[in-house]
Amino acid sequence: MSLDRQPTVIARTVTRLVVPLILVTALALLFQGHNLPGGGFIAGVLTVTAFALVYVIFGLDYLEAELLDRNPGTRYETESGIIREYGTVFAVGLAVAVGSGIAAIALGYPFLTQAVAFVEPLPIYHELEVASALVFDLGVYAVVVGALLTILAEVGSE
Amino acid sequence: MASEVPAFLETAVLGGLVLASVVTLLAGYRVIRGPTVPDRVVGLETIGTNVVAIAALFALQTGEGLFVTVSLVLAIIGFISTIAVARFITEGDIIE
Repeated sequence: MSLDRQPTVIARTVTRLVVPLILVTALALLFQGHNLPGGGFIAGVLTVTAFALVYVIFGLDYLEAELLDRNPGTRYETESGIIREYGTVFAVGLAVAVGSGIAAIALGYPFLTQAVAFVEPLPIYHELEVASALVFDLGVYAVVVGALLTILAEVGSE
Repeated sequence: MASEVPAFLETAVLGGLVLASVVTLLAGYRVIRGPTVPDRVVGLETIGTNVVAIAALFALQTGEGLFVTVSLVLAIIGFISTIAVARFITEGDIIE
């Protein structure tokens, strides 16, 4: 990464400010997704846009070198490094999403049957809604994040 | 919309909707006829910003909270695309 390609101070500072905001918005959409607009897919897409902003401004090696504190692998390498871990995220998400459907079968209901429980006496919240659809949404979220980040890192390194 | 909202506010929201729609159409003309690529890009980003405004005004008009979420997500994606296009025009490639 040569110095003349360094983005401006404005771009880097705005990225530092905006990426946490995007991640919080994505988490809010993920957690309200069982009965309001939102859900795993759009939360995953927003998370990937936050990572895309980091990739665009700081370069492909920044995530591994600065945040995870390790030596970034060579380009075009898919057998190890962070691209491989994105594939693991994809696989784990798929397993969680399918497992949330299998769990309903194991309890004697049709595939992907969802339930909701209300936890009543809470100090500040008074009532917390615990929906089993959140597990499926988490699976979809991990699938979308893993797949799109694999595409982004793979295409970006070419 | 709640009934205690003053009448001039509804008129203002309606006027804002019409104005944003007209600006979107004019920006669409710039996107189609724009001589250079940056002209088209600026036109497309104006359309994106106006769609955010239309979504927020529509949330005010109908009282549906979900359009605020729509405008929030559209604004985030428009911001990312602005940065990506600016980097493409100045640097040549987006991710290095």
